[in-house]
Amino acid sequence: MGGLIEITLGIMTAVGGFVDISELVFAAQAGSRFGFALIWVFAFSTIGIGCYGEMSGRIAAIAKQPVFNLMRQRLGLRLGLVTLVASSIVNTITCAAEIGGTALVLHLLTGWPYALLAVLSTLVLMAIIWLTPFKWIERSFGLLGLAMICFAVATVKLAPNWGAVAFGFVPQIPTALPAKDLVVFAYFAVAIVSAVMFPYETYFYSSGGIEENWKPKDLKTNRLTTSVGFGLGSLLAICIMINAAILFRPLHIDPQLPGTAALEVAIPFGKAGLLLALFGMLFAISGAAVETGLSTAYSIAQFFGWEWGRYKRPHEAPRFTFAWVTTFVIALALVLTGIDPLQLVEWSIVFSVVLLPLTYLPLLLIGNDRKYMGEYVNGRLSNGIGWFFYAVLLVAALAALPLYFITSGGQT
Amino acid sequence: MRRGDPLKLLSEVRDLQIVDKDGRNCGICDEIELDGAPGEALTVSAVLVGPGAYARRLPRWAHRLIAHIAGRGIVRVPWDIVEKISGRIHLSVAAETVGLRRTEDRLIERLKQVPFS
Repeated sequence: MGGLIEITLGIMTAVGGFVDISELVFAAQAGSRFGFALIWVFAFSTIGIGCYGEMSGRIAAIAKQPVFNLMRQRLGLRLGLVTLVASSIVNTITCAAEIGGTALVLHLLTGWPYALLAVLSTLVLMAIIWLTPFKWIERSFGLLGLAMICFAVATVKLAPNWGAVAFGFVPQIPTALPAKDLVVFAYFAVAIVSAVMFPYETYFYSSGGIEENWKPKDLKTNRLTTSVGFGLGSLLAICIMINAAILFRPLHIDPQLPGTAALEVAIPFGKAGLLLALFGMLFAISGAAVETGLSTAYSIAQFFGWEWGRYKRPHEAPRFTFAWVTTFVIALALVLTGIDPLQLVEWSIVFSVVLLPLTYLPLLLIGNDRKYMGEYVNGRLSNGIGWFFYAVLLVAALAALPLYFITSGGQT
Repeated sequence: MRRGDPLKLLSEVRDLQIVDKDGRNCGICDEIELDGAPGEALTVSAVLVGPGAYARRLPRWAHRLIAHIAGRGIVRVPWDIVEKISGRIHLSVAAETVGLRRTEDRLIERLKQVPFS
């Protein structure tokens, strides 16, 4: 019974913690701009993050090796260091975007000044990390983020053409679009792949597995969390896209602000719906801020072999503590410069996709290494999906920057 | 010892996590020190840890940058206190015995003064 509760909680946490500001913004924009035509990219990328998430959790449970330890061993010092520096920059930018998003949602709820709310929310998040152990942090944000289910309820209420929605799951490129829009379509496709397969998610997930001392008996929970949990979480993002296609596309509204996405629930359910959507967004986005802040510290501490983890008290892993505190301070400073949080989201999305091949290669190599993994080495399915997605990520990484500049970040 | 063995050792030991006898993480094997003379077999004499050790493996500009940020410190861990290697390098002594975790120990004292730490 305890095991079943544990698995259910794990899945629910994954569902509630799946959507962050980048998925929220890009799903709503993609739905408004291309209707249901990009649903398949969300579904497709979810298979990728499910595969790599499962692999990183299995490696954490069996080899007890966190991602950045592996990265240094397998990529070597030079390439590992390049990845560390790049991922720390991207994670910090993403953390700033999430703090900015949290402040925007709080601003909508309270009407208080944005900068003050950014400072207050950063201080509260840091206090939560300082005072609570890993499991509580992960569970509380994940479970409160479940309020995002209101977006799925809104989809049912809005009664889309389900046949057209189902067709959206079929890989497609809308050939009727003019060439200029096709390039924007490609940019959104790459951005969604990046948003769903953000590197920090694997750093955080595998480090969490080690924090919670996963063992082979936890592999079932790992498999269910990364398949069912991530799958249902992705479905929430798809619902945001469907709602945007129904509500915003006919009116040519470009939902660039997170608050616009909340209207997807406000329109069918009124004020109560709006508050519930904002509440869900608040915990989903602030939870992602915690994950990105901690991921930076995990990466640096693991790369240099320091003590790390939130299962230790702050003074027991001092350099790790210093690293996450510094990340939050820099991220807050970025927000306070006045840079638009959505600009930060775009930068983090584009630079993340360039990092993805470097992040996932060591996982594939260790997952196939019988010396580390013994009988739990990658199976044929895991390898097949893993290498296929690796090829996709290489193409996405090469295309990301040119597409970003050609489309001016999807604006043309 | 076969001719290829020392090189294999180098590639398999370098960049591994080091843990002390209490299971605490205390750095990464940044470089290996070898002993030997022309015509003799090379033997591993120590594991080197610290920015001064890994910076040597980087291009010169990065070497200077790291020296500026993290210093040139190297801690020498004698090979005879390496107990076993199994995905990590396990030491038979506490980290402090060989001078590892100095920065940690300094920071611990400061952090202990912060409430709820």
